[in-house]
Amino acid sequence: MGKGKSRIERLLKRRIVILDGATGTELQKRGMPSGVCPELWCLDNNQVIEKINSDYQRAGADVVYSATFGANRIKLGQYGISDVRGTNRELALAARRAVGKQALVAGDMGPTGRFVEPFGDLAFEEAVEIFREQAEGLAEGGVDLFVIETMIDIQEARAALIAVKEVSDTFTMVTMTYENDGRTLNGTDPVTALITLQSLGADAVGCNCSTGPEEMIKLIDDMKPYSTVPLVAKPNAGIPKLVGNETVFTMKPLEFSFFGKEFASKGVNMIGGCCGTAPEHIEKLKEAIANEKPRPPARRSLSAVSSARKTLLFERDKPLLIIGERINPTGKKALQSELLEGKMALLREMAREQEKRGADLLDVNVGVPGIDEKKVMAEAINVLAESTNLPLVIDSAHVETMEGALRLYPGRALLNSISGEKEKIQRLLPLAAKYGAMFILLPLTDRGVPDTAAERADVVREVFEEAQKNGYTKDDFITDGLVMTVSSNPEAPRETLKTVEWCSRRFKCRTVLGLSNVSFGMPERRWLNAAFLAMAAERGLTAAIANPEAEELMNFKYASDVLNGRDKDSSLYLDRFAAFTPGVKKSGDEAATSHADFIFRAVLGGNREGIEPIIGEALKSGESAAKLIDDIMIPAITEVGNLFDRREYFLPQLIASAEAMKRGIACLRPFLKDTKVATKKGLILMATVKGDIHDIGKNIVSLMLSNQGFEVVDLGKDVSAEAIVEAAQNLGPDIVGLSALMTTTMVNMKEIVERVERENLRCKFMVGGAVVSESFANSIGAHYARDGVDAVRVANRLL
Amino acid sequence: MVPVQFFSSINIQIPRKSIFKRLGYRKGVTQIIPDEMRELDESVEYAASLVRLKGAGKRFKVDVEGMSRIHFETGSVFESRDLAKFLSDCGEILLIGATGGSEITKAIQECSESDSMTRSVVLDAVASEMVDASLDWLCNYFNRELTRESKRLSRRRFSAGYGDFSLLDQHSIYDLLELKRIGIDINESAILIPEKSVTAVVRIENSEEE
Repeated sequence: MGKGKSRIERLLKRRIVILDGATGTELQKRGMPSGVCPELWCLDNNQVIEKINSDYQRAGADVVYSATFGANRIKLGQYGISDVRGTNRELALAARRAVGKQALVAGDMGPTGRFVEPFGDLAFEEAVEIFREQAEGLAEGGVDLFVIETMIDIQEARAALIAVKEVSDTFTMVTMTYENDGRTLNGTDPVTALITLQSLGADAVGCNCSTGPEEMIKLIDDMKPYSTVPLVAKPNAGIPKLVGNETVFTMKPLEFSFFGKEFASKGVNMIGGCCGTAPEHIEKLKEAIANEKPRPPARRSLSAVSSARKTLLFERDKPLLIIGERINPTGKKALQSELLEGKMALLREMAREQEKRGADLLDVNVGVPGIDEKKVMAEAINVLAESTNLPLVIDSAHVETMEGALRLYPGRALLNSISGEKEKIQRLLPLAAKYGAMFILLPLTDRGVPDTAAERADVVREVFEEAQKNGYTKDDFITDGLVMTVSSNPEAPRETLKTVEWCSRRFKCRTVLGLSNVSFGMPERRWLNAAFLAMAAERGLTAAIANPEAEELMNFKYASDVLNGRDKDSSLYLDRFAAFTPGVKKSGDEAATSHADFIFRAVLGGNREGIEPIIGEALKSGESAAKLIDDIMIPAITEVGNLFDRREYFLPQLIASAEAMKRGIACLRPFLKDTKVATKKGLILMATVKGDIHDIGKNIVSLMLSNQGFEVVDLGKDVSAEAIVEAAQNLGPDIVGLSALMTTTMVNMKEIVERVERENLRCKFMVGGAVVSESFANSIGAHYARDGVDAVRVANRLL
Repeated sequence: MVPVQFFSSINIQIPRKSIFKRLGYRKGVTQIIPDEMRELDESVEYAASLVRLKGAGKRFKVDVEGMSRIHFETGSVFESRDLAKFLSDCGEILLIGATGGSEITKAIQECSESDSMTRSVVLDAVASEMVDASLDWLCNYFNRELTRESKRLSRRRFSAGYGDFSLLDQHSIYDLLELKRIGIDINESAILIPEKSVTAVVRIENSEEE
């Protein structure tokens, strides 16, 4: 361990460590002009930056940051500077000259300004290389610790942390920047960032910039219960305001320092200031917390995994977790061929569907004979990081695949799996530890799968002993009970259940089962799977690898959570089954007393599924189709229009009613042949004009008009004037309805009106669309319709 | 010169409030029963899962000449009195563009064609509002950088097609932002494809301006 590391760790045990305040705003105050490269300006004006550093040290800072926030290859390159290492070295040395041994110097690393894969176009390894170059320069300058700060992309923070750790074992802090909604601009919440970064080896984690102290206290409070490392806060001096011609952070030093005690009570371990803070703020802050005792990290270890945007805790007595098993090509030909072709659509769809059906994590296995597994796994991780927030379980038999995945995965992964086999212990365990992953412990060895629970327990103890040497605790792994098929060994399920019970109640570690193996070769496997899940859940099973799309299984899970006291107040069970609405009735239908009443309510309530059967019943009972339309449905849809006009209905309700009406009319149409009802009010030709592809408004209008008895011929979108004129000649419509959304296409309406008139066709024009106004409509000799309901009114008026 | 910055995966929270507003919801007036709300929520979630937000942005030095000419440092010229007024006393702008991708457009079309117009309407509103929110995200992103230079973006944005700023100028914006690189095409009418794609001009102001 370096001297800096041991020194800061000693300090952290004794008291809350004081960090410096802002550098950027101080530089501007002391003469740095706008638009220059701050690092270059500091090199040219080193007396200024050294004065800032020493002022902070004299104000009481234990740690000062080097002026190297933007000293990476990308940012410096924008100013034509190529000597990245030299710039970092010289600025680190400047900070050292300023504070000597009176304070620690932190090598400061800020964002590159680009997002890192999978969230941006900067390749992950390129990002690591960029930060490695900077870290090497700072190390040459003799920094005591590193700080990676103002990060909004968790993957960029990971890349920087990996780079620093690969350069040196120096103490490293990582601070992220959160928006007012409590997440980074890229969507990461503070607990998720904490879990990802502390497991990856950050020695302290926290937040800086963007908010003032009041807002930042909450972030520290949120993180503290999950922290295994010290927490850092560097708030701005409040929210900036304009005073005269300058942006000013108005929070004065004394006011800023008032928040110190509350930060301390919430468990901050390192505190300083960001934009707008000056040496006076740090001085007052130090005074304010001089007698505050530091609260150590809340725990030694934490059983949790994370994605870029979500955390999942493996807590005792909480609902059984489901690890979605479907992303595995074994026995799935479509997925196999997609993966071999490098396609990811099916994988994305499987992720989406499993998440929707209640999976808590997703197992990802891309092992197909002949595939470049390492490459495809990386692609799968990139795709899944974008398409699901669920944490991933990296599932492979190959160490190289696992390593690539662990490095790239933008969270804390669960590794499936590490067994007692020699290769896994020697090669995979240290890798898992390097990237801070949790792992599934498979209690088998090179000798094979132990038959009994007692033998499996021995292997669990052996692997755990090895894991401890790599810094793991019992919180960091989940033991697989090893499910064997009951059809080949009737004793096997009981041994598995005994293993689960021993782990849960004696050894006190978490457990997982790959459920479906138990029923292999048996008919109606779903019942065996579901029963086995319920039995294992009673013995304390933490998670099951299963198909969340299997409804019986999921229902058993929810039921067993209630019966095992793992679903507080049965709330999850009640939520799940409250959504089950037998039949097709919608609210309000209960009050219907006749077919007519029900049909009226079906249109009014947009009951698209319910209207067809009840119309069938009405016809069977002798009701007239024509009367149902004229006396029931038309008044109902008219009332819907009124409700929409009064804003009591909004667009989805209007359209749902129109769709219910449409389905109802479709059922009745065969019975209308010989009757005269209001179903042929006139013919309307509809089109979205040439060049325009936005046609949803036109589709709504078509739907509304056809429901009101107009015959509608819809020519579609991007329709040329020639095609519209030709259709008008052939069909002889009463009205031509035109829509356009953009100013460039709106002008095509005029041409169509003129051409149709030149052909002496007797029809009227109705126009609408986002940019179309009544005055424009009038100017081209057309009638304006505001929306679908208005279009019905206009058409009725015109005919 | 700093190149165009591309953002291949913009993450935002689903802007439910603005989606409901776009669909005509009025608080305290519009009545939604639980069944309808469940259906709506399901459609919103589905739509959001199909929207793939990508963006691009770049700062440009500009010179406003007379009442209506805006010269870009790159040589492009826009003619618009409204845009010139918006950019008066402004020497630098941010051009931004964003798209929701083609998957959502396809789903809107499919719903529309398969008699699921209600779902289609909701999907359309979600896509529009998410793309709009991604422009806010881009502005937030660039504002962070500008703050360090004591500059900031105007709250208002201006897009081609508004006022007398010709939609045809979208061709130039398309080229300046290299929007092809985030999967956007443009047709002869200057309409961006996929449909849920937008561009905007934002003023860069010195802090003292407002």
